[in-house]
Amino acid sequence: MVHSTISLPQRFLNWLRSWEGLLLGLFLVVLTINSALVPAYLSVSNQVNLFILFIEKSIIALMMTFIIINGEIDLSVASLMGLSAGTMARLFELGAPSGLAVAAALCLGLICGAFNGFWVTVVGLPSLVVTLAGLIAYRGLVWVLVEDRSITTLPAWLCELGQKPLIGPFPLALLLFFGFAIIGYIILQYSGFGRLVYVIGINRDVARYSGVNVRRVKMILFIASGFIASLAGLLYAARLGAMRSSTAEGFELDIITMVLLGGVSIFGGSGSLRGVFLSILIILNLRNGMGLAYLSANVQTGVIGLLLILSVLVPNLVSSLRARMVRHRELTRALEMAESS
Amino acid sequence: MMMTSLRRSIRPEQIRELILVLVIIALVLFFGTQVEGYYSSRTFTRISTSIAILSVVAVGETLVFLTRNYDLSVGSIVGFTAFFIGTQLSFYKDIPPLVAVLMAVGTGALMGSFNGVLVAYGRVPAIIVTLGTMAIYRAMLVEYPGNKIVQMSALPAWAQEFSRVNVFQVGEFELRLIVGIALAVVIVFQLVLTYLPFGRRLYAIGSNPEAARIAGFPYQRIVFTAFVLSGALAGLAGFMFMGRFGNLTVVAALGMELQAVAAVVVGGTSTMGGVGSAFGTLLGASMIGLLDQSLLRWRLISEFWRDALLGLLILLAVASDRVIVERLRTLWARSELQLRPSIAPVPHKESVHGS
Amino acid sequence: MRKLSTAFAILVMVSMVMALAPAAMAQGPVKATPGQAVKMVLLPKFLGNLVFDQAHEGALEAAKELQNPEPLQFLGPTPQDSVAGQIEIVTNSVTQGVDAIMLSNNAGDQIAPAAKAAREAGVTFVTWDSPIPSAEGEQVFVAQVDFNETGRVMAEMALNILGPEGGKFAVLSASPDAANQNAWIAALKEVLKEPKYSKLELLDIVYGNDISEDSYNQALALVDKYPEMKLIMAPTTIGIAAGAKALQDEGLCGVEGQEPKVVISGLGLPVEMVSYTLNGCAPQFALWSFRDLGYLTYYVTYLLATGAIKGEIGERFEAGRMGVYTIEKDPTREKGLRVLMGPFTIYDKTNVEAEAK
Repeated sequence: MVHSTISLPQRFLNWLRSWEGLLLGLFLVVLTINSALVPAYLSVSNQVNLFILFIEKSIIALMMTFIIINGEIDLSVASLMGLSAGTMARLFELGAPSGLAVAAALCLGLICGAFNGFWVTVVGLPSLVVTLAGLIAYRGLVWVLVEDRSITTLPAWLCELGQKPLIGPFPLALLLFFGFAIIGYIILQYSGFGRLVYVIGINRDVARYSGVNVRRVKMILFIASGFIASLAGLLYAARLGAMRSSTAEGFELDIITMVLLGGVSIFGGSGSLRGVFLSILIILNLRNGMGLAYLSANVQTGVIGLLLILSVLVPNLVSSLRARMVRHRELTRALEMAESS
Repeated sequence: MMMTSLRRSIRPEQIRELILVLVIIALVLFFGTQVEGYYSSRTFTRISTSIAILSVVAVGETLVFLTRNYDLSVGSIVGFTAFFIGTQLSFYKDIPPLVAVLMAVGTGALMGSFNGVLVAYGRVPAIIVTLGTMAIYRAMLVEYPGNKIVQMSALPAWAQEFSRVNVFQVGEFELRLIVGIALAVVIVFQLVLTYLPFGRRLYAIGSNPEAARIAGFPYQRIVFTAFVLSGALAGLAGFMFMGRFGNLTVVAALGMELQAVAAVVVGGTSTMGGVGSAFGTLLGASMIGLLDQSLLRWRLISEFWRDALLGLLILLAVASDRVIVERLRTLWARSELQLRPSIAPVPHKESVHGS
Repeated sequence: MRKLSTAFAILVMVSMVMALAPAAMAQGPVKATPGQAVKMVLLPKFLGNLVFDQAHEGALEAAKELQNPEPLQFLGPTPQDSVAGQIEIVTNSVTQGVDAIMLSNNAGDQIAPAAKAAREAGVTFVTWDSPIPSAEGEQVFVAQVDFNETGRVMAEMALNILGPEGGKFAVLSASPDAANQNAWIAALKEVLKEPKYSKLELLDIVYGNDISEDSYNQALALVDKYPEMKLIMAPTTIGIAAGAKALQDEGLCGVEGQEPKVVISGLGLPVEMVSYTLNGCAPQFALWSFRDLGYLTYYVTYLLATGAIKGEIGERFEAGRMGVYTIEKDPTREKGLRVLMGPFTIYDKTNVEAEAK
């Protein structure tokens, strides 16, 4: 293969010059600035907190990476978080056994995911339309379930699981996040299924003509997305210890921002979970540092928006500048050669 | 033979618009039986004014969609320009209305051109640019110096009266100025898209960006212009927003980008570019607005059921539209084949991107 | 010489004890000791809302009076991310080692775990404007008005506007899970059972989500839905202003010299409502001073954080220019303490212009 002809240090250098290298550099910058400016930043509790505050979005971002690489989008995830959390809370309120409430909520996630998948794969509607309708409709169902109330009758063990550390200083959600990151990485980067996700994302027609069951892959992805979203919803409800209809409203755009900053192309086919993982680290640490420095939330969102743009713009400018310099150098060399001859 | 010529002269896209019109008529007929006094000029005025601002934004969004891009910053642009113009008008009460409109359109165009430069010349994907500027423009609104809120009482008299002005009135029937502006925008851009070279190029670029580039279209300039126009229309919408609501807070037009996207895609514009029209978008916005406003007035439906129904109905409308158009397309292609067996059917790009 | 100074010292001490003793015995109000360093965070529902800016001004006024050397941090989430943002700010503030947090809660009970964590870390936690419903993690709630009183004031205004023969009305609220609005509407429903208000009929409750567009459309939809409706009651400043604009635009509230068909009332800001009150679209509405609320909240929190008061029922304290207040049990919640500010100011044609200046 091509790779074998390049030496290991050279490959490492190439990686550093890639998107992920850029993200790693950015992450180190954020890390340095934060620890230099904010004394409390490096404490264990803060390091755990900065994950916990965004853990549900981060978990969904891992799944969303699959969906976007596959050339689709799922805007319904935040509403689905609310719907499954609402279902669980409502069942608990009605006195259902714990296992049933949790299982029902997760099943609902699977069903809604399959519902999204049905319209995309069988009817052939664009996923943007389907999941936009899902965003409205699933949230609507939360209103139907929970109405104007606040459900606080979640069982103690659930709240404990959501709020207290499970192993060492790490709560369950954080462990799940790292677990999913590893499993997701293996599936996407090393399994046959992962390759199909990319192949379909690059060109679904070519994939179909070469015998790939495009529908099946997409269906699996949407069902998985529904499941992960509802799981994240349950974790969120457990962390907050109460359920209201507006729970997790508007999370979808933050999640998509995480994925796109990770270098995943919105048109599908390119990007990696490594990049998304780094991008999650950057966003979380950046927000944490800015929060601890008392910057207003509004400025924080603006900064992340700017970062999102610059992260693509600057490498683009650099590469076009470099191309121009190379051209200029070649031109002068050609001129020199012409003169000397 | 007459059927054939009819088939030739109508494109499937027009059938799609016809279907949307039929769906809208069906909805009107249905709600007429459910809502007391539904068939009145009053209801028309109220529903049409509630759609007007969104329609203007959605037409701009359509232009961007045609080039196979997104503009998610329009909600923030509407909010910012509304706020900006409102603040300016409450400080300088003698700004003439036309100047105020131009200021709003200009501000919007400036914000749109920032998006456009980054997308067309910086080669940054549109979703990244506009997700970013959506946050940045909203942050600018919140940090905007001056009063934190625009109060209607501080606006000049004409701005306070803006939303009550009629274009004309026949008996009970009124056509409000903001509806008139929205209709004018739709008509102008429908004409631009159909007859001007710029409009045709938008389609060409969206259908196949690579081919358009190779064919020598000024790709960057056209995409840039689409974003500028989208921003300018969002600015115009911001002006209308300011006039209609008077009191503005920092949440002004929050989430309008998703409503606009919904109107555009329901109106038949393809998410893969190259297919769509301003008129279709008006129909899309009308259908969603009609559903939303009629559900509000339907006594049988409680507050809490409304959104669940709305989402489902949008999905059904789009799906039925899709299924019917696909069916018709197959029929078209088949009859073409029968008539001229020597010519192989050209696969439509929609069906390529389907499933 | 030494004896003399000792004697003098004793004299001073005795006189001090004598000066303090009667105050302690008579349970006189606790006064704040100015100049202590307390890191305080004022956390509104979200940034960019006039009423919260007014509360911020009030808190700054109190901070100046109390000569707190630590600057007051005014931190709020963005409107689109209010719940998660409030939790984030509380958590980060604890990490940062602040001494006190003053929260206008927008997260309902969902803020409770973060608030409890703050309490465990020794942070003084006071709510204002909107409490934590379960009161978990909160020491005291600075209530702008009595939440049950809000129901009565709304019923009273409805009766004033509709006259003794009463009539039908509907409520245009904020979002369906807005805790304050829900408490006020529940109180209104209770009050309506009294014979005095038997002529008032509540038709429906709809939600404008504190967004002008939604509230505007909801107001007009109500008019179409219930032709017999005479009044909209909007217990939210954004809802009442948008609703008034809608009624005015549609010529429903007698703008062109006609008999008004539908009018609006509720809770509104005088600066926003003045023109509607003068033209008859919103003949009467009520509100309290957010500036005073911020001022009082700062005093309460400062006293708690410096240990001058403990946050127990019956404690009396002086809050600068606003006078003496008492901590009491909050009768509108199962658990929880409150400091009641009050009262309402009812605005109509006679006083709205002066206030709007």
